[in-house]
Amino acid sequence: MKHVIKALTLALAASLLMAATAFAAPVKIGLMCPLTGKWASEGQDMRNIVTLLADELNKAGGINGNKVELVVEDDGGDPRTAALAAQKLTTSGVIAAIGTYGSAVTEASQSIYDEAGVVQIATGSTAVRLTEKGLKRFLRTAPRDDEQGMVAAKLIKAKGYKAVALLHDNSSYAKGLADETKALLDKAGTKIVFYDALTPGERDYTAILTKLKAANPDIIFCTGYYPEVGMLLRQKMEMKWNVPMMGGDAANHADLVKISGKEAAKGYFFLSPPGPQDLDAPAAKSMLTAYKAKYNGVPGSVWSVLAGDAFNVIVEAVKSTGKADSAAIADYLKTKLKNYPGFTGQISFNEKGDRVGDLYRVYEVNANGEFILQP
Amino acid sequence: MEEFFQQLTNGLAVGGIYALIALGYTMVYGVLKLINFAHGDLFTIGAYLGFTLFTAFGLSGMVAGPGAVVLVLLMVVGLVALIGFLLERVAYRPLRSSSRLSAVVSALGASIFFQNAVMLIYGAKFQVYPNDIRPSYVLSIMGIDVPLVRIMMIAASLALMLALYWFTQRTRIGAAIRATAIDQGAAKLMGIDVNRVISLVFMIGPALGGVAGVMVGLYYGQVDFTMGWVYGLKAFTAAILGGIGNIPGAMVGGLLLGVIEALGSAYISIAWKDAIAFLVLILILIIRPTGLLGERVADKI
Repeated sequence: MKHVIKALTLALAASLLMAATAFAAPVKIGLMCPLTGKWASEGQDMRNIVTLLADELNKAGGINGNKVELVVEDDGGDPRTAALAAQKLTTSGVIAAIGTYGSAVTEASQSIYDEAGVVQIATGSTAVRLTEKGLKRFLRTAPRDDEQGMVAAKLIKAKGYKAVALLHDNSSYAKGLADETKALLDKAGTKIVFYDALTPGERDYTAILTKLKAANPDIIFCTGYYPEVGMLLRQKMEMKWNVPMMGGDAANHADLVKISGKEAAKGYFFLSPPGPQDLDAPAAKSMLTAYKAKYNGVPGSVWSVLAGDAFNVIVEAVKSTGKADSAAIADYLKTKLKNYPGFTGQISFNEKGDRVGDLYRVYEVNANGEFILQP
Repeated sequence: MEEFFQQLTNGLAVGGIYALIALGYTMVYGVLKLINFAHGDLFTIGAYLGFTLFTAFGLSGMVAGPGAVVLVLLMVVGLVALIGFLLERVAYRPLRSSSRLSAVVSALGASIFFQNAVMLIYGAKFQVYPNDIRPSYVLSIMGIDVPLVRIMMIAASLALMLALYWFTQRTRIGAAIRATAIDQGAAKLMGIDVNRVISLVFMIGPALGGVAGVMVGLYYGQVDFTMGWVYGLKAFTAAILGGIGNIPGAMVGGLLLGVIEALGSAYISIAWKDAIAFLVLILILIIRPTGLLGERVADKI
């Protein structure tokens, strides 16, 4: 009992103190991110970006004269820790929470925010099911896993390939992408001449390549990860077979070229969200300059930049509706916000809370083994 | 038909590597009736040692291509043989008179030790052999494209296997190894130093595994610390397939497994390749429980 009284007194004192320092009631925005654990570098980038934006906003006068107060909680990249973090954030009176990175981690916190009626905007969680639950106040700035398949099918059609070979590695991610692409290509009438899975972790894929060659495709779309893709590229070159090859974002790793060699990787292209250095929106350029000045480095991936986008759309919603109210924010974001100029391109949301518009870009490997963003 | 022969050469190249590693399993089993589960990791160590010798010491810059490869192979043979010798001394010899299960547990422990040691020393990321060592020439024989390295690899595997076969069949030491395999007590009575023979076996087997490691590194380019697991498992299968404890059996088993895998993925399904290979193994063991060329029943692991 003593502890409870102590805690209550402390909380009271703290809230009084805050009330005294702020001119008006501050708008509280929560950020839940993995500051520790295996994704710590992502989480720290997320915190850095959102802190930077909040500081800039407050310096410029806040939202309609109200200061923004950021409440950061660590989810440790772990579903159980995330549940605790979500409870802390919802009880601290935030109107909206940004986060988090991993899909499973986000999923563990979804119902807590939903029950508390707090808007949640996930930033790196791409699993399809998150927005299929009909949660009214859940949104995400990240693309869905099935969007990549859509973009891949579109790209294959745009490049005019008629006979497509699909190769995955039986992981749920790679198989999902291959299936998604296959379904769309079937619908569009593009011929799938080959569909099979390789065994990841092996060295010799010549048997697969020989079989692929007999199927005579115009393009090989291998949805697997970079070690296997690198070996395939290399052994394909050794067979003197010049068929083009493409991949998904699991191929986006600098070691790809190390494994395949520059010569074999040349001309290989893959889909991926743009890296922070390739973001071409003017807002992104100025934000990255400020980020560099403050933290002496650039964010490691695009996923943390999406946290910045989430912060900005929340601020935009509060500004436009004039209300620091969760229901109003969710409604505004899902129905009224159209083509907001974000860091990662234009942002709109659909009824489910998914981001509309593609984030995926095409990268091609040049003769020096560098990944070049294609226009 | 072209595709068939192409797949056949693909299978033989992979099978040659399996066979080289399988020799190490089978030799140790023949003499000690022990499955050396650390053998796959000795293969990994060979691959990494080769990587270090090629890159860190800049051998490829100092000696011309083929010379450097031979030199590195010799050094790796020496080093991995030494590790194999120490492994037997530390992990197996103290347990020789205890139950077979203890030795198996010790082998598994050694495997985990080696795998993690490699990871801690070299890191968990892929390492890449220098690209300029291997010849990039591709032979075209009647529409079948075979990279020259592949042929060299198959030839080197076959040469090593035949040399080993000759060594065990035609030399005095080879006879001592065979005698020890048949009956250790009787061999001792005949004046054979059984401990030295066992040490020698633990040097030859790992050395062959090490050579296979360097060959895989040279040909496929990438090495990582878990590679010994997949290859070790396949080579173990190959040894059982051919009849464990039997040297020609390991060669036949390895080549056969490689060819079954290649043809299975060509004519049935790539995803089912391993399932097909193991199905064949099961069928062969049902019909011939001792493996294709095996004489003894593999009753203990």
